[in-house]
Amino acid sequence: MAFAAPKETYSGKVFEVVIGTDKAVAFGGENVLPFHSFEGNVPHRPVIAYEIQDIPPDDWPETVKKVYGSVSGDPVTWAKYCQDTLNAKAIALRLLSTHPDRENRSPEDAAKTVKDVLSAINIPLIILGSNHVEKDSSVLVAVSEAAKDKNCVIGKAQEGNYKTIAAAAMANNHKLIAMSELDINLSKQLNILITQMGFDKEKLITDPMCSALGYGLEYTYSVMERIRLAALTQNDATMQPPMLADVGMYVWKIKETQASEAELPAWGSLEERGITWEAVTAASLLMSGAELLIMRHPDAVKAVEKFIDELM
Amino acid sequence: MLIIGEKLSIIAKRVREAMMKRDKGPIQEIATRQWKEGSGMIDANIGPAEDGGEELMEWMVTTIQEVVPLPICLDTTNYKAIEAGLKVHNNEWGRPLINSTSNDPERFPMLELAAKYNSQIIGLTVGKGGLPADAEERAAIAAEIMARAMEYGVPLEDIYLDPLVLQIATSQDHAMKVIDAIKMFREMNEPPMKTVVGLSNISNGCPKHIRPILNKYYFIMLMNAGLDAAIADAHEMAEAMQEKQLVDDILAGKEIEDKEKMIIIKKTLDVIMNKTLYAHSYLEM
Amino acid sequence: MALTGVEIFKLLPKTNCKKCGHPTCLAFAMKLAQRQASLDACPDVSEEAKKILGEASAPPIRPITIGVGDKAVKMGEETVLFRHEKKFVNPCVFAVEINDSMSDEEINKMVDDVLSSEIDRVGQKLRIDAIFVNNVSNDAGRFESVVMAIASKAPAVPLIIATNNPDAAMVAVKAVADKKPLLYGANESNVEAMANIAKTYKTSLGVTAKGLDALSILTEKIKGLGVDDIVVDHGARSAKEILEANTYIRRAAIKKNFKALGYPVINFAQRDDRVLESLVATLGVTKYASIVVLGSIEKWKNLALFTLRQNIYTDPQVPMQVEQKIYKIGEPTPESPLTITTNFSLTYFIVSGEIENSKVPCRLAVMDCEGLSVLTAWAAGKFTASKIAQFIQESGIENEIKHRELIIPGYVAILSGAIEDKLPGWKVIVGPREANGIPAFLRSKVSQ
Repeated sequence: MAFAAPKETYSGKVFEVVIGTDKAVAFGGENVLPFHSFEGNVPHRPVIAYEIQDIPPDDWPETVKKVYGSVSGDPVTWAKYCQDTLNAKAIALRLLSTHPDRENRSPEDAAKTVKDVLSAINIPLIILGSNHVEKDSSVLVAVSEAAKDKNCVIGKAQEGNYKTIAAAAMANNHKLIAMSELDINLSKQLNILITQMGFDKEKLITDPMCSALGYGLEYTYSVMERIRLAALTQNDATMQPPMLADVGMYVWKIKETQASEAELPAWGSLEERGITWEAVTAASLLMSGAELLIMRHPDAVKAVEKFIDELM
Repeated sequence: MLIIGEKLSIIAKRVREAMMKRDKGPIQEIATRQWKEGSGMIDANIGPAEDGGEELMEWMVTTIQEVVPLPICLDTTNYKAIEAGLKVHNNEWGRPLINSTSNDPERFPMLELAAKYNSQIIGLTVGKGGLPADAEERAAIAAEIMARAMEYGVPLEDIYLDPLVLQIATSQDHAMKVIDAIKMFREMNEPPMKTVVGLSNISNGCPKHIRPILNKYYFIMLMNAGLDAAIADAHEMAEAMQEKQLVDDILAGKEIEDKEKMIIIKKTLDVIMNKTLYAHSYLEM
Repeated sequence: MALTGVEIFKLLPKTNCKKCGHPTCLAFAMKLAQRQASLDACPDVSEEAKKILGEASAPPIRPITIGVGDKAVKMGEETVLFRHEKKFVNPCVFAVEINDSMSDEEINKMVDDVLSSEIDRVGQKLRIDAIFVNNVSNDAGRFESVVMAIASKAPAVPLIIATNNPDAAMVAVKAVADKKPLLYGANESNVEAMANIAKTYKTSLGVTAKGLDALSILTEKIKGLGVDDIVVDHGARSAKEILEANTYIRRAAIKKNFKALGYPVINFAQRDDRVLESLVATLGVTKYASIVVLGSIEKWKNLALFTLRQNIYTDPQVPMQVEQKIYKIGEPTPESPLTITTNFSLTYFIVSGEIENSKVPCRLAVMDCEGLSVLTAWAAGKFTASKIAQFIQESGIENEIKHRELIIPGYVAILSGAIEDKLPGWKVIVGPREANGIPAFLRSKVSQ
């Protein structure tokens, strides 16, 4: 039997998104399934952003906290360390201090932090709220203004707060992350609502909500795969923005990245276990369609970059 | 087409309160309305009814049949409540229908009741733990239910196979799988097996204004596949029948005069057929 | 083309004799249509029907089993490209490479690692499934003795005998033929000899070629030589090439019913960088490998890969379930609130996440409702007052807490009275309907 390669071509393609100004990066743009350059066009590699936050990472496990021991006291130092020492291509700044249960810092404080970080780096910045629906709607408006025209990514807009956040991102020329909770139909609905406000669909990034390996990963995996198939096979413009996997925060709170080897000898070295957990979670979501990843451990990032090298 | 009026369900607040207070008024009013609108049977859904289920079902059956000359679809997981309902059911107005047996061993004894009281019964094609993945799995479960019915002495003519309609908002690809299953079920016996669906589950979780739209056009597609009965809103189904020709024309690729209606029907059919991804605002896109 | 159940039914004897283990011929036909039964189970089927059905019902990817007994592993039988369409069937096999030029000590150590690799995760026992014994020495005698040593030390572990030297293959396979190993190493230049060994000792045969065209020619040849059980290696080693070749093979088998490549695929993930090796294995698990050969099996790597495989191979139709028990969130005291929900894993993840967000230490009773969400479980009679009462009483929680208050989901408010009737001395409090209301609810509760 002669073999004919069963290539597939699709009617749709993923939007290409460029973020940052000075050292801008682009992702998305492919018209095939992830890394299927053998049957179509994959113009960009996925981008990994290093996650930092505006207060010291007290609740990060030791494995990853110690990496940033001397720099994590201050977001500016931390950001510069990621850029200059770790060669980060982008940074994701989480404004955790603004959460009412943390330090409840004001939107103005957050705006100042953002300005300081922006003036210290020349790589793209992703600015994330504390994931408190009401507070984020004021914080993310203030930081959008503070970062005007810096072509940042603002996130995350959710069903309960997208209006103010999308309006601020639009007015200040930023990209926007739209997050819904592990449901492809709700994800489409949120993208529709945001674009109905006049927000350009080509400036959106879809976050179908991440989950860690072993803790619902298969849901995120399949929602991403289905979103990508809808974008390609149905040419559904509402599903064509690139996708985000916010990996680090989900991975570094579970037992597998915290329990010591002494406690669970069958699980092996804690250090490598944590790094591998983050890397495997990221790699599987790359296979299902993520183009923008937010990660914490430099060794996990390096391994995933090598993996991407092999795939491109 | 048999319409089994769906409105007397414990999920509805007004009905639940009437059931709890044993207030006949609302129950009889709703039952009467459904009858007038064209229902040929009335569904009495009392929920799991662990406590006092027998007495409640008895009350429901007699309360409804006091004013409406129709048979009742007895809808609960409580075996004893079903039996109590069957005992008081007035068979002059048609044979009752048990809702339901399935491939879950807990539901096997319902067949015993069907045999004992000469009742018809719904065979819901689900097993224990997990939903059927496609039409083939539904058909495989149907075959097992049919085999079991024969063991219990329930004639196949008395079974209505139910492929289980799932919500389009969360399980869009199942809309067509259910339609395929209806076709398969019919081929599984001669004369064809009878089929039923709980129709409005298709639009469960959708915004209010699009629920009737999805219900109606899905109903027409199911009808075209050979559906015999639907637990549904009789009023909506009467409307659906008036629009059937339009939908059939569109399915045949023809244009219809009312362009606005045509767009609504087309978009809805595309969602049902899984050609476009469902979102609550799909009609606005 | 696959036949429908009803079409198959028409070819069966219609005696309803039950000898196949199914209650009727119709039920058997439906199972055959889903490829969940084998026609051999029917003693009365006609030769003609056998011919028609045998071809029509052959799965697009041939099932292959290596090893014997409890630890034998089955591969193939996949029916879809994406896991959301339908369950991926036979989880990919993890094999570790042991090469025969290693010292006996090193080999012993690796076999020990395989034997102690088993982990229990969410009720499943997971382990390194097989050993890939590689004849790097190219010495038939050494190879034979290493294979025998491994087989005697790890008698239950399935073996992959890897050599392209027919002499070495002959002696090694002969030594462990009763264990049904996979003989890997057939290629263009040795195919007759290797097929002959596989046929003689009734083992499956792994074949390698550069390029899928050459590979399909070889598998056809092997089939012609009388070996049906084949595992294919497309020769790709970089992640990019593996993805391409694995994808083409799966698509050809599933979508084009291309029989020459309708076999399980073996991938090689070995890398010096162990984390990177885990990621290449991730590619194999997610994208269609039936065997992934690893260079090392550190415990941390195994745990991550076993978990990934478990995630990817769960049935998307069966709601993932968490274990029934009372979970502690934060560090609850005997005074902390007690809440209850069902064991649908997504419900659990979201509810426990919101309780964490509330920063109120809590006990969360998770009840087995076959993985259904709250409202569905209630409607299906699984989350009812008497079952909740029974669960609470049998859980022993009454000895752990001082109060007698149970918070139930708002959707089942209707149950509150009945639960109180069945749980004497308890008070039922109706919580919010949606999980996002939990933090505010709990905070206002403890501040009272």
